[in-house]
Parts: sequence; structure tokens; C-alpha cells
Amino acid sequence: MKKLRGYIFSRYFLGERIPQYVQNLVLRDYCDKKKHEYLLSATEYTMGNSFLALQQTLNDMKNIDGIVAYSLFQMPELQIDRIKVYTKILKSNKELHFAVEGLKISEKSDIDRIENIWLIKQTLPKCYQYSE
Amino acid sequence: MTINRQDNFSTIEDIEIGKAFLEQGYIIRPIKNIKDLDWIRNLFIKLVRKNLTIKDEVNDGNLFDLIHYEINPSQLNNFRLSIIKEMNATDGFRYRYYQVAKSYLEALVGNELAMQSRVNLSIQLPNDASSLLATHADTWSGDSPFEVVVWLPLVDCYKTKAMYLLPPDKNLNLNKNFKQMSGNNSEYLFKSIESDIKWIDINYGEVMVFNQALPHGNRINQENETRWSMNCRFKGLFTPYNDKKIGEFFEPITIKPASVLGMSYQHPKL
Repeated sequence: MKKLRGYIFSRYFLGERIPQYVQNLVLRDYCDKKKHEYLLSATEYTMGNSFLALQQTLNDMKNIDGIVAYSLFQMPELQIDRIKVYTKILKSNKELHFAVEGLKISEKSDIDRIENIWLIKQTLPKCYQYSE
Repeated sequence: MTINRQDNFSTIEDIEIGKAFLEQGYIIRPIKNIKDLDWIRNLFIKLVRKNLTIKDEVNDGNLFDLIHYEINPSQLNNFRLSIIKEMNATDGFRYRYYQVAKSYLEALVGNELAMQSRVNLSIQLPNDASSLLATHADTWSGDSPFEVVVWLPLVDCYKTKAMYLLPPDKNLNLNKNFKQMSGNNSEYLFKSIESDIKWIDINYGEVMVFNQALPHGNRINQENETRWSMNCRFKGLFTPYNDKKIGEFFEPITIKPASVLGMSYQHPKL
């Protein structure tokens, strides 16, 4: 059974706001289904653009197997910063899970899959929109 | 921080409480409605005995302090969650929780209040590292600065059996130098404020109201007794909310008639 530290947001991410207790419910449910042990979540600071709680969690992984974030869109918006997070995870032989999307990064090849989704998400607002 | 002239409208006791709260970041006072505290304690005794197999001869007087002889850290979180669920579902529990701090809340916050929907419970066994709260301010993770925490112990709390708080004057320095002082892990922040923190000393029969915008947390309990404490947030009903919203996290508890009228008021139709 892998021990995963929860990671949730206390502010909007990409225009979305999810109550913290709902984020925790999703994390708990994800861990139950995947047979992982869910450890009390770190909550990202409310100050805009802060990823301090994520950084602290990445540096406190000694006794855990990885991190489970509510959503992959809670990662930093700049790709270069996201890659640093993934690299830190893989270099430490840990895993990074995303509960809502049901995805994870446990090896290098997983990064492309996650990044494709990120890049599409960032591109979509610039695409043609239609209303019925 | 000074109290302005408007405080002349307040009682001497309220002024004194307000000054202490602003200067220290918290107040600790005796519980006036002691029968409500006794009711809460008796509820806990019932819930603990229901959720754990404890011999009848174990004295209620030591039940909380010595619970670590009856439960180990791996069982603790499920036990704690069961108690939280049952206590919050018990009729009259939240009302009595409010009652134990009512007069102090009225002095510090107001009398038209929103209360956190679920009261939290902390149980800290001696030498258990599994239920620690690293240094944090609630406002850093979505609480409004208009909230206060009512912290109610079921046992005497002292030294590492208690919690710590960074006093307001020391917090000014942290806020100015947050980036350097917070570092890259939770321990770094604690180390950078360790010499300035105030350990709370509070006995059963007392209640603490503290400013949750000040950094606080706990460390491994190195005393020989288990800590039991509850915490619950209160705020002025019509003060700004942050990520902890009315309805999903807070519930109105003392709406006044003028507000009831005002919220549904409509001008005559022309």
C-alpha cells in the first residue's frame, strides 16, 4: 500500500474553484479505490501564484511514496516550472497522482501524456468558441 | 495596537478582552457556562466508551489523559473521525460549544455570527508524529482574516501537549520576510520562528479564542499525557468570506431580526 500525501488548493485554478472538503473527498475516494493510504492534505497557500506548499511537500517526501493532487491543473501554469516538479518526483523515485483525471506520473514517459493535456487546456481558450 | 475612542461604548471587561486579544493574539478565560462544558465532556466519555473497548474500572477522570494506553497511533485517525462524526451529529453539541465561548465571542467578534459547520477534534498521543500540524496560518489556506478560532481543551494542556502561536509583533517580521523565513520545507519555517513562538498553557475549564491569521501549530507531544482539544471557527455573519464559504463551511447561528428584515426588504412598487 503506497502512502500518498494529499495536495489541494485554497484558491481558483484555471478559473475553477472546488471546496476544500470536496477536494479531500475526491482524494480519499481515489486512494480507497487504488488501495493507497491517503495522508492528510497539504493545502496550497491562497496567495496568488504561490506553490510554496507544493515545494514544501516535495521536500518532505522522505517517509511517503508520493503526492496525490486533486487535479493536474493545480500544477504551475508555466511548463518549465511543471517540468521541475515532475523531475523532482521522478528523481526521488516517487509518484505524482492526479485524482480527478485518474492519471499519474511514475515514469518519464508519463510526462508527455500529462503535458499534452496541459497544453491543450491552455490552448482551448484561444480557439473558436460557439454558442448554441 | 491601540483601542480607539469608540470602545468607550463597551464594558470594561470587553475592552480588557479586546486589548489582550490584539496584543497577544489570543485570550484564555474561564468558561462561564460550566454546565455546557460538563455536558460536552460527558458526551465525549460516552462516545469514547462506545468506540473503544475500555474496562469499566478505568476512571472517567483519567480517561482522556491516559487514552494512549487504550489506543495506538495506527488506530487513532479512524477513532478520531468516528468521534468527530458522532459529536457533530449530536443534538445540542454545537449550541453548547458556542455557549462556552459566547460572552468572549460577543466581545471580540460580535453577536450576529456564523459558526463553522463541523467542530474539529485533535487527539495528540505522547510521542506520536502522525497527527502533527506544521506551522501555518489559516488565512494562508483560504480562511478569512475576519475569523477567530475557539479552542476548547478536554484536558489540561501545557508545554508540547499544547499548541504554539506566533505573537502579533513577531508576525510582522515574518510577514515582511516571508520568502526567506519560510524556506523550502515546513520544518524550515518552524526553525525560523522557534525562538519567538508562545506555547499555550490552558486548563480544562478554560477556553481560548485566538487569531487564526497568526502562524500556529503543534510539535510531537513529549509529555506523558494525551492532548484532547476541539477547535471551531466563528466570524461576523456579514464580514467578508474567503474560500471557506457560507453554506458549505459556515452556518449562520444568530441572525438578528433587523437583518432578517433587511435581507428581504423591497421598496414599494411604483
